[in-house]
Amino acid sequence: MSNPVIIEIENLTKTFKNATEPAVNGISFSINRNEIFGLLGPNGAGKTTTISILCGLFPATGGKVLIDGKDLHTELASVKNMIGIVPQDIALYPTLTARENLAFYGSMYGLHGKDLNEKIETWLQKLSLIDASNRRVSTYSGGMKRRVNLIAGVLHNPAILFLDEPTVGVDVHSRNVIIQHLKEINAAGTTIIYTSHHMEEAQNFCTRVSIIDHGNILTEGTPAELISRNAGSTNLEHVFLNLTNRKLRD
Amino acid sequence: MLNKLLATVKKEILLLLRDKVGLSVLFLMPVALILVMTLIQDSAFKSINEKGIPVVFVDHDNDSLSHQIKQGLLSTDLCYVSDSIDGKPASSESALKAVSEGKFLIGIVIPKGATASIRKNVSAMVSETLNGTDSLQKQTDSVEIVILIDPVAKKSFLNAVTSNLREFISEIKTKIMFQTFSEQISEVIPDKQNTPGNAYQQSQIIRYKEIFASTATEQIVPNAVQHNVPAWTIFAMFFIAIPLSNSILKEKTEGSVFRLHTMPTPYLLLINGKILVYVLVCLIQFLLMLAVGKFLLPQMGLPALVLGNSMMGIFILTLATSFAATGFGVTVGTLATTDHQAAIMGSLSILLLSALGGIWVPSYVMPEVMRNISAFSPLNWSLEGFYKLFLRGGGVADILPYAIKLMGFFFAMMGISYLANHKKRTV
Repeated sequence: MSNPVIIEIENLTKTFKNATEPAVNGISFSINRNEIFGLLGPNGAGKTTTISILCGLFPATGGKVLIDGKDLHTELASVKNMIGIVPQDIALYPTLTARENLAFYGSMYGLHGKDLNEKIETWLQKLSLIDASNRRVSTYSGGMKRRVNLIAGVLHNPAILFLDEPTVGVDVHSRNVIIQHLKEINAAGTTIIYTSHHMEEAQNFCTRVSIIDHGNILTEGTPAELISRNAGSTNLEHVFLNLTNRKLRD
Repeated sequence: MLNKLLATVKKEILLLLRDKVGLSVLFLMPVALILVMTLIQDSAFKSINEKGIPVVFVDHDNDSLSHQIKQGLLSTDLCYVSDSIDGKPASSESALKAVSEGKFLIGIVIPKGATASIRKNVSAMVSETLNGTDSLQKQTDSVEIVILIDPVAKKSFLNAVTSNLREFISEIKTKIMFQTFSEQISEVIPDKQNTPGNAYQQSQIIRYKEIFASTATEQIVPNAVQHNVPAWTIFAMFFIAIPLSNSILKEKTEGSVFRLHTMPTPYLLLINGKILVYVLVCLIQFLLMLAVGKFLLPQMGLPALVLGNSMMGIFILTLATSFAATGFGVTVGTLATTDHQAAIMGSLSILLLSALGGIWVPSYVMPEVMRNISAFSPLNWSLEGFYKLFLRGGGVADILPYAIKLMGFFFAMMGISYLANHKKRTV
């Protein structure tokens, strides 16, 4: 039987060049297979830095990360085959159509030929983009772009999916469609690591969350556990505000 | 891996085809540059060699000297000689005014009695020589020929006209000298057919033959087309650095690079895809420019481009130039952090490298210091290579050193880009 833990993080540290304080300050946690794990925190808390390290975008200053038993530092190429990412910014080519964008990104994940075309077709259908699929992405609404951005990250059926604010700036309808399909992806076996400022969405979507601030983990547990642990809190937003001191962040 | 490379190439081609402005910069700009620069330079060339430098000739002498000078100037391709201004015979005053107004670049005023004065002087010299007297000291006025110069006239034009003028005067002086000798000797030797004057008329002691030092089988005449087509094509090929660097920067600013760096595809493969496409664009640019030189320019009354003997040489040099240009674009795109920065960095550096490389002004007219610096410009390597092929009839062996230097430049640029990219990602 495979290890139930898919991501193990031990004492992870990241200090950027010329920075006086670490962006990630020796955090340790693990994520179980098939979880929807929420990494929540205010701006500058260290969420995106943590996800960027886990995706292999840049190396950590210290600590150890094992992804499905593979050392991220030494087996990065192998790890990259297992992951998908939906970045906060729309990472698409605006002058290409949705179909052309997906064909390119799918190819970069090793898909090709009939398999690639079928997957593109299926996902475009699922996310109601088939009619607009031959239009340039620059002509799309914010919600449509977000949906294509999502498909580009999941087309290759990754074992682990990183979502960095996947629903930011989209209307309620698009948000519901995105969340619904993310749940389907999770049900099909993909572990999801998710960051968001949207606490209500996180409360409903995540099976477990970790609240991070100033590069340190403040608390961790299921949304229900965190709410019950913080007296007077009725939802995750209250917990979040209490733990992060309600101060404005830049 | 091949599928990934092909997908990258396809993506780059699509991006390029959708960028109409970028495409027009890549293809229309060099065509426009070649047409404009060749027409301008050809016109300047013609002003010396075909139509001639406009010269107004004022003849107050109306004797052998002025006739010989006028005939001499008319017989060369150097000048277009006129002795009237606005339909009226030219005078010293009207000539000065016409030159100052730019109607003529140069004016020549032969004073009254110039021929008589020369004859008088020569006669005195001959007498001195034959009689052993010191009459030269009694010699009177020297002849003063006035040359009016338009201040905008190039010094080279002026030098060309005055040196011709001196040559004609010297010839006339010699002729008068011979005639005077002849007259004096004929008094002693009755057979006029063998007098020195006639011998001078009949013989030409030194002749000149101009041969262009080229090994080409086809006669290649240096002209504005032979120089401008390769020069501006190279310039346009290096200008590819701007759209290429923009393409790299767009991926950074539009967020694609974030996803690209997290994918199981080496970044070098993605860059290689770009390089392949832009090298292809450079080759198409080159073919287009050759077609312009070969077929379009002759339609506009300009000479057709002559390609020389070595198609393989042209291909190797073009390929090496294309790699050098794309390598440069990759470096600019990697070093710059915004598209604005890339546009400025790219265009200024290309202008500088092209100026140093002899694209704007041939390197042989540069001062020695600049000529030495010029030898470090990749555009100069390419241009010198094309001169070897197009003007000197060279082959593969002749351009190989230039092609090797250009490929060396490409690898150096890729090395710099790799290090810069690595440094940027080590945050």
